[in-house]
Amino acid sequence: MEIRPFQTLTLRARRFYVGAMFQVMGRALQAMTEVDGEACRETRQLPPGFLFEMRVLPSGPVMVVEHTKDGRLRFLGTDAPRPINLSIQFKHMVHAFRVVSFQEKTAIAFANERMLVDGDIAYAVRMTRVLNRLETFILPRFLAVRAVKQYPRSLGFVEKTAGAARIYLRVLRNLIGNERPYE
Amino acid sequence: MSSRFFEFFCPVKVIAGKAALEHLPWEMQGLSVKRPMIVTDKGIHQAGLLEPVLAACREGGVQIAAIFDDVPPDSSTSVVREIATLYRDKHCDAIIALGGGSAIDTGKAANILVSMGGDDLEQYSGAGILKHPLRPFFVIPTTAGTGSEVTSVAVISDEQRGVKLPFTSSFLLPDAAIIDPRMTLTLPPHITAATAMDALTHATEAFIGLAKNPLSDAYATAAIQKIGQWLLPVMNDPKNEEGRLELALASTMAGIAFSNSMVGLVHALGHATGAKCHLPHGVCMSLYLPYALEYNLEYIREPLGELLLHLEGPERYAQTPTEQRAESCIAAIRALRDQLHQRCGLPRTLEETGQVEFSQLEAIAQLALDDGAILFSPQEVSFEDAHALVCRAWS
Ligand SMILES: [Fe+2]
Repeated sequence: MEIRPFQTLTLRARRFYVGAMFQVMGRALQAMTEVDGEACRETRQLPPGFLFEMRVLPSGPVMVVEHTKDGRLRFLGTDAPRPINLSIQFKHMVHAFRVVSFQEKTAIAFANERMLVDGDIAYAVRMTRVLNRLETFILPRFLAVRAVKQYPRSLGFVEKTAGAARIYLRVLRNLIGNERPYE
Repeated sequence: MSSRFFEFFCPVKVIAGKAALEHLPWEMQGLSVKRPMIVTDKGIHQAGLLEPVLAACREGGVQIAAIFDDVPPDSSTSVVREIATLYRDKHCDAIIALGGGSAIDTGKAANILVSMGGDDLEQYSGAGILKHPLRPFFVIPTTAGTGSEVTSVAVISDEQRGVKLPFTSSFLLPDAAIIDPRMTLTLPPHITAATAMDALTHATEAFIGLAKNPLSDAYATAAIQKIGQWLLPVMNDPKNEEGRLELALASTMAGIAFSNSMVGLVHALGHATGAKCHLPHGVCMSLYLPYALEYNLEYIREPLGELLLHLEGPERYAQTPTEQRAESCIAAIRALRDQLHQRCGLPRTLEETGQVEFSQLEAIAQLALDDGAILFSPQEVSFEDAHALVCRAWS
């Protein structure tokens, strides 16, 4: 049977979208821990030099983030300099797509066994909360409520818009590439 | 909250009821087992629970080739190594784990070593490391609570490194679980109560958690019904064989339920409390269950209200207006705890245990946040939430 072209196009678009979202999330994670004390409270518990990755099995996009110190995360792109400490692996591209396009909440994706955890579960729980926090920060509220279990009560409008603006700005500057991760 | 996707898996043959033990030889012969080894603990041996197993095997034509009866309450990698050595020395070809959670976990871990080879258990730690089935393995639970006979998990502490090694694989599931009422007949009242509360918590958390699904729901509700009906009668009459069997079945069913839909906040808090204060797991479950349900109330109103039917029966359910059923279910659980307190002194608050300091509550809340079970709590939990909850459970 011949594979119809639009199917492969869909697959490629999906792969591209997930890869791009990983890039955005990686940079946003870095930016968030530079401005948000609440997120740092979680990440500070990780050991310095801790490497976290999200990847899509069997050979999909990868995102690698390092905890440098004091809760700061640094986006390393797709390559890890050392063995990974914690890996969250989506079993299939479609599962990753559903999560990063906010059709399935991260916690539900765990519950539905869409992904595997390789590493210390305590760190996985912590990183899930950090990812939730990220989503509430960078997404418009109507999307964020779809992505996380509960929209945080303590995240007021001012805090959110100010926080989101600063994170977006940093993501943007990082994407353009004329800002060093650490000044 | 119903999930539109789920997985459900339980390939364990359950052999339950009167003279269930006497089915074990036939099951072993079906797998060509000739030299089984029993893994158990001293308490089981002293309680006289080993004898009926040996007798059943002898009469059924299977000779037990080795017995290890020294599993400690918190099993370790060195114990597992010791068992593997004995297994190899005696040319055994199967393991029968006889006991509670620790003996069963130890049996699972020993089966990894003797099947995969080597003496280094750590290399098999984690999820999905085991790639092929292990040697024949049978479980005879002697408490009615943990459900370990139907879970694909084992936890063994590595005493040298001071960490707990988790093992997860469907190959850890036994070929058969033997549920015989003789095995739980002599369980002391406070252990009967605490382990039953553990089973009740497994079923309840399976039914209200984020990963609930129609198949695990069926097992969970049936388990809750049995516990609601039989726990107090068994506390009043410990030799009630029918009630003992029903509680043991409830524990197995609750185990099937939670291993397919996960546990939640009660277990996160309970694991943390157990680790900090060395309280028995079942006691921790009983302490936190009503408070964790109250914390999640607005997210679980519907399923929790439904549980009233299974816990208290159709009359009480029908008499309770729909909007009050969830609260009534929590009240019924509190009433059950009061009854158990009266009968065997099962503590209802952290203070009543006499083993927890108020100053430890912050550390307990902090540790609970790192527990995997907390992911499946319907309401998100922050440190402040967890701390407020353990404070409510204090007195
Ligand atoms: Fe439990």
